[in-house]
Amino acid sequence: MTYDKRKPREAITKFGRRGFLKGSVAGAVALATPVAASSAPAKQPGKAPLKPSRLDEGLGPHPDDNSYLSSAGSDYMIDVLRKTGIDRVAFVPGDTFKGLHESLINYGMLTEPKMAYSAVNHEEISVAFCHGYAKVEGKPAACFVHATVGLQHASMALYNAWADRVPVFCIVGARIYSAERRMYVDWAHSVFDGPSLVRDFTKWDNTPLTLEDFGNAAVRAYKFAMTPPYGPVVLQTDMTLQENPLPNDTPPRIPFLPDSTPPAGDDAAVDEVARMLVAADNPVIAADRAARTPKGLALLVELAEALQCAVVDSQARFNFPWRHPLNQSMRQRPTVAQADLVLGLEMTDLHGIIGRLPKSVKRLSITSEDLYMKSNYGDYQHFADVNMAIEADAEATLPALIEAVRRRTPRTRQSAFKARGRKLAEAHQKTLEASREAAAVGWDEQPISVPRLCQELYAQIKHEDWALVNGTVFQSWWPQQLWHADKHYQYIGDAGAYGLGYLPGAALGAATAHAKHGRLAVAIGGDGDFMFSPGVMWAAAHNHIPILYIIHNNKAYFNEIMALQRIANRRNRGITRTGIGNDLTEPGINYSKLAKSMGVAGFGPVTDPNELAPILKQAIAIVKKGEPVLVDVVAQGR
Amino acid sequence: MLRGMSVTGVVLCGLVFALPAPAQPQTDMARGKQLYMNDGCYACHGTRGAGGGIAGPRLAPNPPPLEAVKAQLRHPASRMPPYSAQVLSDGQIADIYAYLKSIPAGKSASQIPLLQQ
Repeated sequence: MTYDKRKPREAITKFGRRGFLKGSVAGAVALATPVAASSAPAKQPGKAPLKPSRLDEGLGPHPDDNSYLSSAGSDYMIDVLRKTGIDRVAFVPGDTFKGLHESLINYGMLTEPKMAYSAVNHEEISVAFCHGYAKVEGKPAACFVHATVGLQHASMALYNAWADRVPVFCIVGARIYSAERRMYVDWAHSVFDGPSLVRDFTKWDNTPLTLEDFGNAAVRAYKFAMTPPYGPVVLQTDMTLQENPLPNDTPPRIPFLPDSTPPAGDDAAVDEVARMLVAADNPVIAADRAARTPKGLALLVELAEALQCAVVDSQARFNFPWRHPLNQSMRQRPTVAQADLVLGLEMTDLHGIIGRLPKSVKRLSITSEDLYMKSNYGDYQHFADVNMAIEADAEATLPALIEAVRRRTPRTRQSAFKARGRKLAEAHQKTLEASREAAAVGWDEQPISVPRLCQELYAQIKHEDWALVNGTVFQSWWPQQLWHADKHYQYIGDAGAYGLGYLPGAALGAATAHAKHGRLAVAIGGDGDFMFSPGVMWAAAHNHIPILYIIHNNKAYFNEIMALQRIANRRNRGITRTGIGNDLTEPGINYSKLAKSMGVAGFGPVTDPNELAPILKQAIAIVKKGEPVLVDVVAQGR
Repeated sequence: MLRGMSVTGVVLCGLVFALPAPAQPQTDMARGKQLYMNDGCYACHGTRGAGGGIAGPRLAPNPPPLEAVKAQLRHPASRMPPYSAQVLSDGQIADIYAYLKSIPAGKSASQIPLLQQ
């Protein structure tokens, strides 16, 4: 594409935004000579600057400015990112971060420690990718997004990450100086305070105006993102700052990133909680994001076993082994109803657990949630009416709590604890048997029953080092009911805010992180969710991401069908028309063909449950070779 | 994009069945199946009444007594959609019930190796 400077509006509208950006990036690459790494300025023998540069004026290179650049500000930015430990970047291209884009591909990806790039095809997928990646890897990946429209695309996914307390490092390009706005689209894609769009649901943002400020802001942003409660951060990074050379060709100092210690509970308060736990007859531990890391999982098991008490896991993270005898998650209501004490650990919705309990039940919480919260969006949930709140990170507090529980447990209590544990183990086993009987009903049905789908899958992966990368609420928690799982990475929870379009991107990010550990990544995702981001299939193929992605194809936005039926009937209008706006039919969608069209092996639609096993076998064989596979399974609604 | 999380509410639609079953009127099982699908029962209870996991309880095989089903439909004890006589007549409920009654029992869990994993 060539840009006609005399008719900017016509030229841009002719190609649309992406076409224009693609062309402009390509044009910029064609015009520029290779930009040298900050440590090694490029020499171009025999090529003197053609024109006086505008760089001394503080502006970036003009399209007509063919002067050579001896260094790049964005190379320094790349160095800052990798100094923090960020080793992967996901983005779809955008004009306002082309300096960073070029630095990544020609500097960051070619010099040690090498950074990796993950191709995506939507800013929402960029963020979701980083969301899934961080939950497996325990640290953020970075996503670059274009100014204005790019961040607008990214915003829903940032809200998911915020609500899920996940660190995502987002760099949004910017064209801050009006002198840089040379044409219609430059103005349309300019904003002074871009991050204000997402400030309600990001942990911190900043707009550095010098490279030194960028270094400080980036390290600070990383530190904030990784201090519990985790959260996404945004750095608005001006394109001039990216594209200009280093001042005096010398990179500024990169600030030191300390090993941070998360806030742990006050000793006296922890001791008091231990005293109450030991004294309680039926204490229940409710956990949601308690296990930030594998260590948190081990600690929670240690605490529960020391007390022989019930654990109900709300599943935002893998907090407790699914088949542990003390795991009462699948009988949460009766368990909590019998409690005389409930201890919430990093609960999203503790009120939902304790809200209806009599006041005589002691209610305690340990959470970092209260240490950082914002006002506008309601993801802070209903206020939980607790007797005692320790404002601290639960995982960091658990060692002291376990020690205090052990110290405070008299020998005379041991037998009571053991008896309690035996009862809970029996209840767990009964629940498992009930789940199995419930799963048997409709076993041979078509559309395929969801527990049948889950068990056919489990049969194929149970001897592998598997990891399920989707939340399972819309599969009625069947994996948690029926599978064995005891490793922290085997389940990473859901979207946080249930913003549709999360899973396709997050699954790819999670699978990318799992791949380097040789794990078999598996996702079961809804068809409606998938249709928000079907382009991920191309990204999966392009990046060679090994993942088995099963479409739970119920041909509708099922959750909304149920909700709409209720309101229609309450108005006495009947529900025969509630498929309108909810159904994904007429035409039906062939997900297998969709996958194949983008280079991913596709199977299905599978309608016969007896066909699942051989198809899943074939699919897993492909994943083991390092490639993605999609299997479309026509299944019951839930 | 944020979809309303009505699942929790739907989970609550545990049916309360206490009333005795009256004599069965003549019914049309095929029409009952059609109604079961068209009137949305399948969405929460599965196409063959197996139950929808978190969404709705099992209705077949061996459904609860007809009068109890009718009572739950007319005045749900939970957030299940209410069905007035205007949108679902007694005769139509009877047809649906006939369909549920016709669904045979399947295998038990002990007969399914995949459920013993």
